[in-house]
Amino acid sequence: MSPEELKALLDSALPDHLRGTISGDHVSQLTRLSGGANNETWQLQWGDTPLILRRRPFSSNAVAELEGNILGLSLVDEAAVIRLASSTDVPVPKVHAVFDSTHPVGEAFLMGFIPGESIPQRWLVDEAFSGARHHLAYQCGEALARIHTIDCTQLPKTIGPTSLDRRFEAAQQRLHAFGDISPVMQFGLNWLIDHAPSDAPGVLLHGDFRTGNLLIDQQGLAGVLDWELTHQGPAEEDLGYLCTHVWRFGQLDKPVGGFGHYSDLIAGYESIAGWTPQLSAIRYWEIFAALSWGLVCQTMGALWHRGQGDVERAAVARRRSEAELDILLLIEEWDA
Amino acid sequence: MTRDTDATIRSDVSSAELLAAVTQFLKERAVPALTGRDQFNARVAANVLGIIDREQAIAPRLAELDDAAASKWLPTDSSPSHTAVDIARALANRKITIDDDFIQYLKARQLLVTAINNPRYPSRTIAEERWRGALEDD
Repeated sequence: MSPEELKALLDSALPDHLRGTISGDHVSQLTRLSGGANNETWQLQWGDTPLILRRRPFSSNAVAELEGNILGLSLVDEAAVIRLASSTDVPVPKVHAVFDSTHPVGEAFLMGFIPGESIPQRWLVDEAFSGARHHLAYQCGEALARIHTIDCTQLPKTIGPTSLDRRFEAAQQRLHAFGDISPVMQFGLNWLIDHAPSDAPGVLLHGDFRTGNLLIDQQGLAGVLDWELTHQGPAEEDLGYLCTHVWRFGQLDKPVGGFGHYSDLIAGYESIAGWTPQLSAIRYWEIFAALSWGLVCQTMGALWHRGQGDVERAAVARRRSEAELDILLLIEEWDA
Repeated sequence: MTRDTDATIRSDVSSAELLAAVTQFLKERAVPALTGRDQFNARVAANVLGIIDREQAIAPRLAELDDAAASKWLPTDSSPSHTAVDIARALANRKITIDDDFIQYLKARQLLVTAINNPRYPSRTIAEERWRGALEDD
């Protein structure tokens, strides 16, 4: 869909949703933001108010056909989770409008714009954010603990409880479905099965809480974005995910997202949750996160083969090799 | 008329040189001329050509490594072109005993695969330093 077509559809659809909330009568400055292999992200103005549109450019059915869909929730369900999260102190944008896949706009939701820096390559190194970085690991621990307090009974039905065994089975099914092309991915899955922790009560996990999905301002954490991989699981999973190598953007000496240290993350979490996550559990989930990232890369390749996506998606398929390398490194460290 | 071989003008262009020419076009002409998503994808495309270039150079070493692995860990009737798949399936069926020798194979293989796909991935520097000695002893 061209920007002109999308603008015309939004001009027609948005007045019903924004009347009485945000003044304005048409979309201006509609701009596609770069990045995002699954969903399009557009910035726009409604009157004088900046807004963000998340839109899925292909039908959800195409994704669901893939065994063990790991591309996440529908945008309708993602919007519902963000609304739930807004009831906590976790910084999230306000959701203004939701469209399902039958709407001419396509599956999408419109949300408020939170000022801040979203590009990790900037805020991880820029001196202007040094103060923000100093507190960020602690703040992330706090935010995750708050997310984990969200009442799971309020969630959309697609976000049900699951067991670790079921997730291992799903991962194995995906490896088979994708042609068993990677000895290291299989080695990693076997290791995770052999070292699995006993099932703990599940909490609501953000599921994609990583450096690239955080919005940072001078005070630190300003926004938590991209809730499409939300699911239920053990709390340490979210903490380990934030720490896995691929999301450290080269700052490997700072295990929490490339900006902080385990002790601060754990202390921040404990301050809200009232219990102390164990480092060994966090590190187990780092390995799980590496395997998951490898599976996402394989899914990207599979979608590209089905004609869904552009050259970026084809290229992401090759990033599986980064996940494989990390699986070997992390297991070696664990065994040491 | 005699032929001066020293003055031969080269007229063929290798596949690696073709890749270099297209990469140069993408980086120097296409990327500056494009905007938004197309500009982003043009950068991605230039990087993809780098993967192809490196794969052409490194693939024979990878095949050699896989051939050696097949003879150690797979039945003799396995197809050499399917070594990675056959090993992955043998692992899934728990038919391979994980020992130091096998781990060394996975490490050596992964260093080559990442050298193709992303030689600048930060973890690779750590892996190279940590594994170099062990792999040289192999």
